[in-house]
Formats: sequence, C-alpha cells, structure tokens
Amino acid sequence: MMHAVAEKAVVVFSWAMTIVLCLCVSIFLGYLLIRGLPSLGRELIFGAEDPLRVLLGRARVFDGIFPAIMGTLFLVILSASLAVPVGVCSGIYLAEYAGAGMKKFSGLLFDILAGIPSIVIGLFGFSLAVFLHNHLDDRFGPCLLISSLSLAVLVLPYIVRSTQTSLEELPDGIRRTAIALGANKLQNIAYVLIPNALSGISSGIILAIGRCAEDTAVILLTGVVAVAGVPSSLLSQYEALPFYIYYISNQYTNPGELSGGYGACLILLGVCAFLFMSAYGVKKHLSHRTLYRA
Amino acid sequence: METKDKIIVKGVSFFYGRNRVLENIHAIFSEHTITAITGPSGQGKSTLLGLFNRMWDDVPGARCTGEIRIRLVDRWVSPMKNDIPMPLLRRKVAMIFQEPNPLPMSIAGNMAFPLKLAGVRDKSIIEEKVQKALAQAFLWEEVKDRMEKSALDLSGGQKQRLCIARALVLEPEVLLCDEPTSSLDSKAAGIIEDFLVGLKTSCTLLVVSHYMEQMRRIADKVMALQDHGLSQI
Repeated sequence: MMHAVAEKAVVVFSWAMTIVLCLCVSIFLGYLLIRGLPSLGRELIFGAEDPLRVLLGRARVFDGIFPAIMGTLFLVILSASLAVPVGVCSGIYLAEYAGAGMKKFSGLLFDILAGIPSIVIGLFGFSLAVFLHNHLDDRFGPCLLISSLSLAVLVLPYIVRSTQTSLEELPDGIRRTAIALGANKLQNIAYVLIPNALSGISSGIILAIGRCAEDTAVILLTGVVAVAGVPSSLLSQYEALPFYIYYISNQYTNPGELSGGYGACLILLGVCAFLFMSAYGVKKHLSHRTLYRA
Repeated sequence: METKDKIIVKGVSFFYGRNRVLENIHAIFSEHTITAITGPSGQGKSTLLGLFNRMWDDVPGARCTGEIRIRLVDRWVSPMKNDIPMPLLRRKVAMIFQEPNPLPMSIAGNMAFPLKLAGVRDKSIIEEKVQKALAQAFLWEEVKDRMEKSALDLSGGQKQRLCIARALVLEPEVLLCDEPTSSLDSKAAGIIEDFLVGLKTSCTLLVVSHYMEQMRRIADKVMALQDHGLSQI
C-alpha cells in the first residue's frame, strides 16, 4: 500500500516538474517574443541601408545588427572548423586506440578543461594575441581568429567526450561484425563504428556550436567590439550578437534600443536554430553517405 | 567420401589476464563436417571459437599458448603465428554470432559490404555472388524485390540468415557459429538448422549450442567443454 502511494507521489511530482519546466520555457520564449517581435524587422538588421546592397557588399551597415549576425556566423563556423576535426580525432583515439592509463590521464585533463570558466579561456586567448603581436607580427591582436581559437579550446572537451562515449557505448555485436568479415581496425572504425556513433558525435558537435554562438566572456577579451562592420579578414575585429545584446542591455538610452536587444535575442535564437538544423542536415547526409559507401 | 583434417588444435590454453579460460585443449576437426560444441555457460565455448579467426587479438589482457593449424586454400596455416594476413584469415574462417547483427544499411549494402572490404569492385561479380549467397541461405526469393530496403526491417530469422549469407558471400572454408539459433523461435531455428546442414558440402562448421536435441540433429560430432577442457561425447 505504502509502495503504491510512494510510486504515485513520485509520478505526480515528476509530472508536475515537467509541467513547470515546460511552463518556464514557454514563459521565457513568450516574453522574448512579446518584447522582441515589435522591433524585429528590416531596420533592426540593416538600419537605413538597402538590404540588397548590403548583401551584395556594396553598402555597410552602421545602425543595424547585420554585421553582428555575420560576425556570429563566421565565429561559429571558424570555431567549429577548428574544434571538430581535432575533437573527433582525439575522441576516436581515446575510444579505440588509447590504453587504460592514457584514457584516465587524458580524461582527467579534458574534465579539467571542461571545468575552466570561459573568462579564463578568454584571458588565455588575449595573452596569446599579445604574445603574437609582440613576437610575430604587428597585425596580430584580439581578432576573429583568436576568438575562434579560444572558443575552439572551450568546446573541445564536449566534442572529445561525446565522440569517445558514443564509440565506447556501441554494442559488441556491431563492434565485431566488420572485424569478423575481414575488416581491419581502420575500416571497422570508418565504415561501421563512426556511422553507428554519428548520432552521439553530432550531438556533441551541436552542443559545441550552441556554446560557440552564445558565449560572451571569451569573445569579450579576444576581439569583439561594438562597431566593426562585417569582418573582412581573420585578423579583423568583429561584431557578434551575444556582445550586442550585452552591450545594448547595459547602454540603452531609450526603450526602443532595449527592444532592439530583445529582437537581437530572437535573431540569435534563429541563428542557433539555423546552425542546429544545418548540423542535423549534415549528420543525416553524412550517415547515409558513409554507410552506403562501404 | 574420405574426410581430411581441417583444423588441428594442440595443447591450447587461453588466458584473460591471470584468469585461465581454456586449458590444454586438443582436438581435430574434419573437413565438411559439423562439430557441435556444448558445455555449461562461462566455460569458454565462444572464446574457443574466437581463437580460430583471432577475434581476441584486440582484447586487452588476452593471451593464448599452444598451436592451432587450419588447412586453408590447400595449405596449412597457423593463425597464432601470423603466417596468414588477418583479413584473409577472417574471410576464410567466417563467424556468425548469437544475435543477428545486420549493419544499419540496405540488404544489398549488407551483402556487398564484405566483398567491397575484400577489394571487389566489379558490380556484376558482386551481384552474382550476392544472389548466390542469398539463394544458399533460402533468402533470395524473400528479399529479391526489396534489396534496397533496410536490413533492419527483416524478421529475426531473416536477419540471421542474412548474416550467414553475408559471411558466405566470401566463400569461407570454415564457418564458426556461436549459438546461431538461440535468439530465434523454433520455426526460424529449424530453417537455420537445415541451412547449416546444407553448408557441409562447401564448409567445415563448428557450432556452439546449448540444445542437445539440435546438436544430435545436425552434428556429425558433439564435443563438450567442461572444466576448461574439451572432450568428445
């Protein structure tokens, strides 16, 4: 009798918590929509410029968030391009080749790296920029490249861990199939293990992309500025949506500007959704291609 | 018909770390026969099968002593001495597992997979070998119209027959079957049994099984693995 009551209580509590959570997310999104939607429009993104001329690169936007959107996209794509190959390869090595000692040691290192506050990584990136400026070339300084490198370091543990875990969790049946058919270890990894673990690996990559898009502390110290235009090179300073939101919510002078901040939040969510969908599309395409190629 | 020896096992012991799994195993398996291996769980039956195609090579702490000789392509090879390339050994000494394990791709993709691994690129050869192996497994008629459909949608018995056909496509000389029917219902198991008996003409089969009735039906010889040793019963 007591057990039945306890079970019912657990179910009711879990149900209530789920409802509370759904309610919180709905309130959060609803509030953002109410505050941000009125400002959402051509003017918020392109200012007074003609969108076509801006998109063709014939006009610069000074009072819209188009450069921040582009800066965020560049930042995410560059960071992911740096972090994904390194992270996935490390994850494969740790799951399939490393000995127990190496796994333990590197696991500890990656856990420490995952726990480092992003502002510390930002400071490391800033120090790297100063070092490069002093010892390599004057053109180096806080810039898009340094921010991307720092963000790549920040998200590396997610990618390594998700790759390693998804490979290690594959059942023995799948693991032995290709080996028993005469595949060598590399063929087994390429044709069977990675395609089967792709879902878990891409989850880590998607998580990393989200983190790259939203992190403000790292970019604050490594190259983001309030006004820079669309970045023209890897060594340029740039604008980014998270920094715009931070800046505008601190410095707004009228409710219209703050509303623009909320509009930028919606656009940031849209950019993240676009990146997630792209990552999902790549995952689907890759798994199909990789599996059927073999 | 005079039968020749196919596999000779002399004084083989196998260890996981300090744990001895098999001790001083001696056995001879004849060509074109089915040998059933039985015994209580945890005695090392699957481990013994895995020795013939070196499935335990990548298992940390695994160690094997003694001698195993297999006559492949009309010459004696010693897998433990690495005198045959590993991929070739595993193509000629194929293995079927307890759980059917089709890869998450089409039926055609599954069947072509081992051939492509072996470097066969000619589509007509692939198609011919795939059709022959599927027909051998009594599966061709059931799947010929849906070769591009996912292999994961097949029934349990069909999946297992697909996995056996996938191994047969490489024309192995020895087929190691690790409890191939234990996850199937009696009807599907019966089909697999008939199929395995039919394979004797082209293969030497070693079948691990717990079902005495099944072993008596299909096997030419039954051996028991008990107290780490192998003996004929």
